[in-house]
Amino acid sequence: MELKTMPIAVEQISEIIIEEVSKGHKLLHRHKLSQNKIEIGRDYHNDIILTDSHVCPSHLTIELLNGQWQITDNQTVNGTTVEQAQQKKKNADQHIINDGDVINLGKSQLLIRFSDHNVEPTIAFSPFDNIIDVLRHPMVLCLSIALFAVLAGGIFYLNSPKEVNFTQFLVSSIKMVLGFAFWPAGVALVAHLSKQEARIMAQLGVSFAFFNLMWLSDFLENITNYNSASNSMLPIVVMMLSIVLAYSLFWLNAYIGFQMSAKRRTIVAASITALLFGGGALVQFSNKPEFNPRPQYNATLMMPSFLLTSSSSVDQFIEDTSKLFDKASEKAREQ
Amino acid sequence: MKAFFTLVLLLLSHSSYATEQAEQLFNQLKPSLYQIKLIDKASGEKSSIGSGFQITADGLIATNYHVISSYALHPKKYRIEYLDTQGEQGLLTLQSVDVINDLALVKREVTQAMSFFELSKATPQKGEQLFSLGNPHDLGMIVVPGTYNGLKKESFSDRIHFTGSINSGMSGGPVVNKLAKVVGVNVATSGNAIGFLVPHDKLVNLYHDFLASPPESIEQQMAAQLTASQEKLISQIMNSPWQAKKLGGHGSIPIIDVPFIRCWGDSNADKVDALILTAVANCSLDENTYVSGNFFTGSMEIEFRTMQAKEIGANKFYHLYQQQIARAGAGNRAGKDNVTEYQCHHDIVMPENKAINNKSVFCTRAYKKFPDLYDVLYLSASIDKERQALVSHFTIAGINQHNALAFTRKFMEAVSWN
Repeated sequence: MELKTMPIAVEQISEIIIEEVSKGHKLLHRHKLSQNKIEIGRDYHNDIILTDSHVCPSHLTIELLNGQWQITDNQTVNGTTVEQAQQKKKNADQHIINDGDVINLGKSQLLIRFSDHNVEPTIAFSPFDNIIDVLRHPMVLCLSIALFAVLAGGIFYLNSPKEVNFTQFLVSSIKMVLGFAFWPAGVALVAHLSKQEARIMAQLGVSFAFFNLMWLSDFLENITNYNSASNSMLPIVVMMLSIVLAYSLFWLNAYIGFQMSAKRRTIVAASITALLFGGGALVQFSNKPEFNPRPQYNATLMMPSFLLTSSSSVDQFIEDTSKLFDKASEKAREQ
Repeated sequence: MKAFFTLVLLLLSHSSYATEQAEQLFNQLKPSLYQIKLIDKASGEKSSIGSGFQITADGLIATNYHVISSYALHPKKYRIEYLDTQGEQGLLTLQSVDVINDLALVKREVTQAMSFFELSKATPQKGEQLFSLGNPHDLGMIVVPGTYNGLKKESFSDRIHFTGSINSGMSGGPVVNKLAKVVGVNVATSGNAIGFLVPHDKLVNLYHDFLASPPESIEQQMAAQLTASQEKLISQIMNSPWQAKKLGGHGSIPIIDVPFIRCWGDSNADKVDALILTAVANCSLDENTYVSGNFFTGSMEIEFRTMQAKEIGANKFYHLYQQQIARAGAGNRAGKDNVTEYQCHHDIVMPENKAINNKSVFCTRAYKKFPDLYDVLYLSASIDKERQALVSHFTIAGINQHNALAFTRKFMEAVSWN
């Protein structure tokens, strides 16, 4: 029977690509077939064997008829549906397949591609990949972790009101390194769990490099706070820097760990940044007492060598403070 | 032996004479003594009690301001009642207050002229026996004999130092001499039979002012009194000599030479393991003005601190230094109903003489009920020496803008390195 139809089939022979995909249309397995009748099901005579127990042993047949691929559902228990881009699911029996159709059978999905499907243009290596490659290099990674540890220990030393011995210094810096390593390790773990490559070294390298940059932005923030009077805008500008740094870190974490569109990555990074800073501000706001009897002022002090601005005169200071009285009186009248 | 018996007899007769005298006085004055009660209208129960005494035939009664302060600030929430020694009760109306000297005048309705306390025209002699009257802890009217010991020393507002037990509830009660003339009003105690009285002349002044022109509003009257008091305090401070004094190794600080501002000092020179050698000088006005239970004003504190790093570098020194100045607070108690939150300004400031470079912070909060009165806080930290620092700090409660700025200017120019 098959032999007789062969001459016609030879003319019509065409390649079809069937991809087993996850619910989120992630590729699990790809089959490229050059035959004009394909049987799909759970038992072992099929061309594509699925392990899904909701699929029937001989579930469906895809056949090339008059140059078109057609699905035949073999009166299955759970049926077969097809979803096309932008359209609702419909029964797949006798359906003529188009490029990009997704066939649902049991709890499995099959994405159909024809061999003339246009693929996305090639993405060139971005400069980020080069930076990430440098940062994940074991030498560079060790250096940035060491720098982080020294800075963390140094800050512990500076803020401790008592003498600090070397063991205390060491313990506090190791604690900080381990604490901060949780973030990149966590991201890598989530990536691994969602069937992506963990890339722990890259995550660690990028994160610690950014943590060090954040120390730097902290230092800059202190310097500007120290050098500016209360009516200056500079501290706000510097605070923006730390927000930008956090956003960049989250963006790179997403870039390394997860395959997603650039738009989605931007949204994810922006959301985490907003959650971190907005959430922090929200917590602070909710903890704020209704009335604070203590003054809130900027008490940043640094060594004289970090003093970069010239001093105001007493006259200037008195003039600036006299404005406070008007402000306070206005507040008193408001209530 | 005979002489001894005579002495004992003499002493016995003297003490029994004093008791007799007290009893006689008490019986004579009893009808003009009152317990003053503040009744919370909503609950109908008393919220505070004190004593009072009638000073005119038509029912004017003197007491302490702090006994009726809640009514003065929230007249809708409370009413004032009296209870006389006969057990009769009635309503009182608030007529006038002197918040600085803690006095108030209230009035009861009278149908006919009543007996009253006469105010003395003379000040007592030191050592003179006086009798304090009042109702301590709601236990009933009592009389406490004691001694006049002159005016409290080094005090901005005049207070009589009375050796005798004054207890809470006796506040507002009169203190009379042997002639039953009022020489003072019970106001406070510092325990161990040391009591303080408002001198009678303050009451005389309040009464005369009241006769001349009764206040239109108690709140306005209080605002005017608070403003006048700070004006008097600050002008006295500004016109007194400010003596430069050495603090620590190289600090030069002003010590204001007025008797009512007293200074104390401390250092950690005995702590061998301290990383920073610190010396502190603390000067303050030890009195304040009671406005309500959670609102005091009229206080002033000044603090200077020098710090010298021992075996630490400049970077660590400045980190610890910052922790030292990060938590300055108000010098007086005040709540949300009384004041706004603090408004602060900070800058790097160098005085004319260029003898020091400071990071200076100035904060102020306004009074809600009394216009142009503020609490101010100033904090200045030197930032021109690698391993040495000089901190100067003051708080003043209840000061107007002009005085606050004038004092701040003078203070800023008086602190330097030498």
